[in-house]
Amino acid sequence: MTGVDEGELARRASEGDAEAYGLLVERHAPMARRVAYAILEDREDADDAAQDGFLSAWQAIARYDPRKSFRPWLMQIVVNAARDLRRRRRVRTADSLESVSPASRDDPARAVGDRDLGERLRTALATLPERQRIAVVMFDAEGFSQAEIAVFLGIPEGTVKSDVFHGRRALRKVLGSVKEEWDAR
Amino acid sequence: MQDEMSPFSAAPDPELGEALRSALAPHFAEAFVGRVMARLGQRQQRGWDEELSQWFWRGLVAASLVVVLAGWGLTQLSGATLDATEASVGSQMLEGSTPVADIVIASMTSSTP
Repeated sequence: MTGVDEGELARRASEGDAEAYGLLVERHAPMARRVAYAILEDREDADDAAQDGFLSAWQAIARYDPRKSFRPWLMQIVVNAARDLRRRRRVRTADSLESVSPASRDDPARAVGDRDLGERLRTALATLPERQRIAVVMFDAEGFSQAEIAVFLGIPEGTVKSDVFHGRRALRKVLGSVKEEWDAR
Repeated sequence: MQDEMSPFSAAPDPELGEALRSALAPHFAEAFVGRVMARLGQRQQRGWDEELSQWFWRGLVAASLVVVLAGWGLTQLSGATLDATEASVGSQMLEGSTPVADIVIASMTSSTP
């Protein structure tokens, strides 16, 4: 059933077909978990939020319009679930953010040190304000349009553009420094 | 990686995007999907239990209503019988005929508080 069109799967899921919904979960779980991580900065919390999002989406699937794309519809639910969880665990999150020194926020590339690219990027992401972090991940990593991100986050599209620009500039410094190191070797 | 972009650029950066997807790649993909589907199954199971429970309470409410309505109906019916008895005694007295004993006793019983 792997070749089945997503719209068809969503239509069947909206009629209560759990197997079809399982295939949708399989397809979209990586994206949902990455975006939830960008919001929560913790893998376990991100998985909890992504799971909550998928369960909420299943409960609301009867209201899904199969003529529209399933991905943004699901994404909105996952973003809401992650932000809800973030609100509930604000104390824990505040603790994790305190571990990043104020100086490192000014220069993420210097802050990350000599670690692998993935870890450097995750550390650099943690130095960004939440909105920039979500915007750049959704835009560059997940391919959502700025207009879609504006709807997900409930902010003007111009703000998303600005967040993507600033977030991306900080992350590029990290990527650039790693490439320079690789070139020097 | 693309060069510095305008803040108004609407083009994603493919190299940064790939690096981010790799950096944020979640682990244990199958286990996660299994976990979600297991929870979904539990919810569906609980959904049936809740549905049955709701039907039980609905049934109980309906049965209570039937009992109340039946009681009210019986009360109305016995009231109508007494009224009919009183009316028949009254009409017999007015007609000037002598009521038989059982009608007189019924009349006295019905007027007793």
